[in-house]
Amino acid sequence: MKNLTLESTKYTPDIKLDADTGIISMVGKSYPENTFEFYQPVMDWIEEYFANYAKNKTTVNMEIIYFNSSSSKLFFDFFDVLDEAKENHNIKINWIYDKENESALEAGEDFIEDFENLAINLVGKD
Amino acid sequence: MQINNLEAILEDEGIVFLTYGGLLTQSLISGMTDALEKESKVNEMSMKVSHNLLTIFIELSQNMMNYSKNSSLQDSGLNSKGLIIVGYDKSNDSYFILSRNILDAKDKEKIIPKIEQVLPLNNDELKTLYRELRRSGRGKHEKGAGLGFVEVARRCDKIEYSFSKINDSCYYYIFKAIINNS
Repeated sequence: MKNLTLESTKYTPDIKLDADTGIISMVGKSYPENTFEFYQPVMDWIEEYFANYAKNKTTVNMEIIYFNSSSSKLFFDFFDVLDEAKENHNIKINWIYDKENESALEAGEDFIEDFENLAINLVGKD
Repeated sequence: MQINNLEAILEDEGIVFLTYGGLLTQSLISGMTDALEKESKVNEMSMKVSHNLLTIFIELSQNMMNYSKNSSLQDSGLNSKGLIIVGYDKSNDSYFILSRNILDAKDKEKIIPKIEQVLPLNNDELKTLYRELRRSGRGKHEKGAGLGFVEVARRCDKIEYSFSKINDSCYYYIFKAIINNS
C-alpha cells in the first residue's frame, strides 16, 4: 500500500500515513475551508489500510494545536473508523498537547469520553 | 481627517489588534490568524485565552466567508460588506471578536435558533450539546450544523448579537464574543 504524506500548510496539519511502520500522524493546525474534501484522501487511506494492510500494531499520533468545528467533526469521524477497526486490530492512540494548551487537553478528554473503548493516551509536552 | 475619526472610534472600544472590512477568503483568514497569533504572544496572553481567541476568530470569519457565498446576497450587490474586529477592552479586562455581515431573511431565521439554543447553557450543558451534535453520523457534515456556535460559546464568557434591517430582504448581523482575561 502506498504511504500518504501531506505537508503542512498554514491551515492544515502535517499528515503522514505510513503503512510500512503502522504509524499514522497528524501534527499542526486544522482549519481548511472545505474540511471534508481536504481529509477525504486520509479517510479513504485509513479505511483501505484497516481493510487490507494493517500491521500487528498501529500507532496514531495526533498533535493538533487548534482546529475549526468542521475539523472537530472530521476527527470524530476519524476516531469512529478507529473504533470500528479496534475489534480486529491493535491500535494505540496518542493525543499530544502542549501542557500550557488547556483547550487541546480538553479536546483530547472529550474524545476519550466519546470513545471509551479506544486506547487514547493524553501525552503532555513541556 | 476621517481616518483619525476612525482611529478614535477604535480607541474608544479599547485596543484593536485587527480590523478588516471586505470580502473574506481562506488565505486572508489564515494570514489574519497568523497575525493574531503573533499579537497574542506580544501581549503575553495565556495560551488558553489566545487559543480561545484564535478559534473563535476562525469560526466567525469562516462563517462570514460561507454566508457571503449566498447567491441571493450576491445578486443584491451587498455581499462584500463583512467586518471583523478583534480587540481588548480595558474597562473590564476582556478580549472581544466582533463580526458584522449581511444576511438574507432566510439565513437570519436559520441562525437565531442556533444562537438562542446555546445562550442559556452552562459549560457542562454546552459540552453535552457539543458531543451530541458532533456524533450525528459519519459523513454528515452540512455547513452550519450548529457545532460552530457551540464551539464559540464554550470558548467565550459572553455572547451578544443583533440584527438591523437594511431592506426587506437583507439584514446586518452583528455577533460579539467576549473572553474574560482572568
